[in-house]
Amino acid sequence: MTATDIKKELNEEFSGVKYILTSGMRSKLLIAMYESPKNLDELRKELKKPSATILHGLKELETINLIKKVQKYYELTSNGFLLTTNMVKLIENWYAINKSKIYWNSHDLSGIPDGILNDIYLLKNAEYVNSTTSDLSNAFNTYIKLISKATKLKIILPIYSENHFKHLIKVLNGNKLKKLELIVNEEIIESINENIVLKKELLMNKKVNVKCVNKKLKVFLTISDTFMTLTLFFNDGHYDDSQILIAKDQNAIKWGKTLANNYKK
Amino acid sequence: MTINNDINNDIKFLAKSEIRLKILSELNKKPDNVRGLVKKTNIAYSSVSSNISKLEKNNYITKVKNKYHVNPMTQVYFKNLMDFKNSVKIVNDYDSFWNKHNLNQLSINSVKRITDLKNSQLIETTPIDIYKTHNTIKKQMIKSKKVQAIFPYLHPEYPELIEQVLINDGSVELIVSKSIFKELIFRVNDNIRKKAIKKGKLKVYSFKSDLNLYLTICDKTMSLGLFKNDGSFDQNRILISNDQKSFKWAQELFNHIQKQVKQ
Repeated sequence: MTATDIKKELNEEFSGVKYILTSGMRSKLLIAMYESPKNLDELRKELKKPSATILHGLKELETINLIKKVQKYYELTSNGFLLTTNMVKLIENWYAINKSKIYWNSHDLSGIPDGILNDIYLLKNAEYVNSTTSDLSNAFNTYIKLISKATKLKIILPIYSENHFKHLIKVLNGNKLKKLELIVNEEIIESINENIVLKKELLMNKKVNVKCVNKKLKVFLTISDTFMTLTLFFNDGHYDDSQILIAKDQNAIKWGKTLANNYKK
Repeated sequence: MTINNDINNDIKFLAKSEIRLKILSELNKKPDNVRGLVKKTNIAYSSVSSNISKLEKNNYITKVKNKYHVNPMTQVYFKNLMDFKNSVKIVNDYDSFWNKHNLNQLSINSVKRITDLKNSQLIETTPIDIYKTHNTIKKQMIKSKKVQAIFPYLHPEYPELIEQVLINDGSVELIVSKSIFKELIFRVNDNIRKKAIKKGKLKVYSFKSDLNLYLTICDKTMSLGLFKNDGSFDQNRILISNDQKSFKWAQELFNHIQKQVKQ
């Protein structure tokens, strides 16, 4: 194969991506019209560019059938709408990932299947609570405070931690929490079984439903009706108790549920 | 709506160079060194090596024991980019299906998940087979145990098809335009209909406003039809698929429309 053949082949493989994503003008125009149809004047004001530049961009988009002009207004065609929706999704995803780059980059993500990892933009409103040198258990305490207010909890528990169990039991013995679903693996369940107190208070508690899965668990996920939290392992295999992701919106809770269901399969 | 009204520079950095995308795609599959990448991709050594160092400098890949690995976040970025790439591909591949068609009744989620339809097939009528779309759906429906469908119009064969499914002890759940609701219901044989409704095997919902969407979900297959922008149904094209992702996509869309009926 000659160099031009290879270039051509690559161009085909990634066609479309480059054309849309590398031109600030084209992508900005599409996003502006995604909000609503706009006329030239509005586009000029929004993009702060001269008419000629904008008209040039509009022409290009019109040629590849992503936008059309209806009377004086420019609007997305059906193709343009499909494409722009997905571009906005890409940008939102990217924004969400960037915000949390350090968190995600320093952890082992192998416990999150590809399809679900692709959707981490649903976590874009999440907060990241870190333990600090002055407050080593900040992340843990924040977590305990959250679960103590929940009425329903679903937890993927990949660690055996008496400290966590102690607080879970305390919440279970209170009036608020009505139902706790625990997803664990055999290793964890065996360890719990060896401890008489935990066995009685957790495994035999009527409010608790334990699901044992035959999988390596790499995420510590908690979902209630009003929040979700996630803690992960470091790439070296150690559990990271110093950083917790907390989100309280429906999108994030939905993301968590999808992940939990995936483990139950 | 708050969109960061700008394509991030990182997106541009990756999207700008097909060579970088290709390198990432290979490293994503398997860590490798420059020589191995040259062999796999046929790209010139100098291009591979200069782009590798750019990727490394920008923290997308890391060299471990003589081989380059993509960083965990790079995997996420790359997957998102490829997801976008696939959405572009779907728009282009089925251009005649989407182009100048009304997408108003697709949920925003179904548009965002358009790549789930990746393995679909576009069925188009031909001059010698002008009922190809209808017959394809008919074939799927007739042997199904469970049919869910959104019918914006009444095809004369539908009542009979529904009867067939019900006779085979299957279940049918329909969302239809208000205007065809009565027509459809009363053309289904009285006995079969009443028995099925009693047993919960037949459910028909009437959609208050106009339906601009045609959808059938039969056992393991789905088919989707659209209206043209001029308001007429495009009888000449349907998108069909029997893979799981499309099936789930269709079910979510069905549920989305069903929710509107209930409200």
